[in-house]
Amino acid sequence: MDLIPQAFSDAVLLAGLYTLMAVGLSLGFGVVRIINFAHGEMIMLGAYGAFWLFTLFGVDPLISLPALIVVGYVVGWLLFKGFIAKVLDAPHINQILLTFGLGLAIQHIAIILWTGNARSATPVYATSSFLIGDVLVVHGRLVAFAVAVVMVAALIAWLRWSETGLATRAVAENRAAATLMGVDVRRIYALSFGVSCALGVATGVVVSFILTITPFMGFPMLVKAIAIVILGGLGSIPGTVIGALVLAFAETFASYYLPEGSGWAEGIAFVLIIGILILRPRGILGEAVET
Amino acid sequence: MTPLLELSNVRAGYGHSLVLQDISMSLHEGEIVCLLGANGAGKTTTTRVISGLLAAGSGEVRFAGNNIAAVPAHRRVDLGICLAPEGRQVFPNFTVHQNLLIGSYSKTARQRRAEKFEQVYGLFPRLAERRAQKAGLMSGGEQQMLAIGRALMGCPRVLILDEPSLGLAPKIIIDVYETVAAIAKLGLSILFVEQNVQAALMIAHRGYVIANGRIAASGTTAELQSTSLVQEAFLGTKTGTGRAPPGPARLSAH
Repeated sequence: MDLIPQAFSDAVLLAGLYTLMAVGLSLGFGVVRIINFAHGEMIMLGAYGAFWLFTLFGVDPLISLPALIVVGYVVGWLLFKGFIAKVLDAPHINQILLTFGLGLAIQHIAIILWTGNARSATPVYATSSFLIGDVLVVHGRLVAFAVAVVMVAALIAWLRWSETGLATRAVAENRAAATLMGVDVRRIYALSFGVSCALGVATGVVVSFILTITPFMGFPMLVKAIAIVILGGLGSIPGTVIGALVLAFAETFASYYLPEGSGWAEGIAFVLIIGILILRPRGILGEAVET
Repeated sequence: MTPLLELSNVRAGYGHSLVLQDISMSLHEGEIVCLLGANGAGKTTTTRVISGLLAAGSGEVRFAGNNIAAVPAHRRVDLGICLAPEGRQVFPNFTVHQNLLIGSYSKTARQRRAEKFEQVYGLFPRLAERRAQKAGLMSGGEQQMLAIGRALMGCPRVLILDEPSLGLAPKIIIDVYETVAAIAKLGLSILFVEQNVQAALMIAHRGYVIANGRIAASGTTAELQSTSLVQEAFLGTKTGTGRAPPGPARLSAH
């Protein structure tokens, strides 16, 4: 049997999920100029939120998604006001250590509250599937893809057509000039960080029925998200989509065609990070960033 | 009459370096005032203090009689202090139209957006032609027009222009200043910074000369033209002598 159509379909569906996973990180960096190393933990929190609501109350993850997005926004906003706002003018290493530390703290709180046991939300569509020709499509993956497309499209529309979205882009391009237009830069920072975390939580909700949920799931996803935004260029949404496609295709085809492929696939993100940093440090579509 | 904008004994700088030693100046309703001076004299720093991007270390900035020291930069736009900054600083990935749109982001300006669009596109037909173009792809002169138009969108009571002639060809400079003169006819109060003396004195009513972070001279355009102080300030002949620069030489009493 020819595996290429199957691998292609898997890769496209995965790329959608990866875009959602990375776009929040990219937004946060593009606007606030801080890489949120706790982004993976936002994903983890979203996954647990969806898992518990499903397990305890039987709420389908797709139903709990909007509410969890709002919670993610509020958590992000609070993290910004409580922590990030204090290091905006600090050296980069302080910012990195702060977000990294926040991530570790959240991770360990999760271990205390929920133990390290692996879990998974299991709505019917998590495992059911259908065939198109020879290609097997798992409903859950298709649902995740659809959610990702809707969320990313909504983000793009918001940035393009809303007053606040325009102000957000203005801050990303030139914060002094944005201030001169009457934009409250601090407010836009808090808001973008909130949206960034909300996107992380949304990612968590959709992976809750695709991957295994543990308190440690955030870090590998953070690494992949970083690989994607470095590939595409930090702060560029089209770049993020391209980065996600590259990583998803590389991983999928590696796992299908290399011996012991699924093991190798997990390392591809690192290879891409190192490769791109050597060959084209600003990313495929990214612009040079002043630091 | 209370001046619309007044700086008294303003000192300001970055970190440990004090750029503005002692700046006192005023702008009345309907006036066009230019701020002349050599590179590094403190002209741009003065505009940054007025717009709130930089806090004054001491001294007072008053707008319409009120001390605005505690008003953050983004709120000063609401008051009607609009700056077209040095180097234009348009949003390169925004279209011309989006640049103007964000120019009227402030609460006051948003309500008068349609009227302002009409005014700006009327003043700058070139911008109307290029409304869908990315700002970063336009020429320097066009970007300057856009920067001024964007500041106008904010419904200024004081329009501040920081070196609108910077990096432009002489013919374009004339275009820019003809437009500034047209804007002045609308009755706006305008404060603009220039190194280009000819261009500045073409349209200003009054002027101040800044040297080493102090007002070195002030007066009407005609008075400034006839004084050697302007030349001295520009050539910077008073710098580096090791003694304190002289106090402000008043050429005329207001």
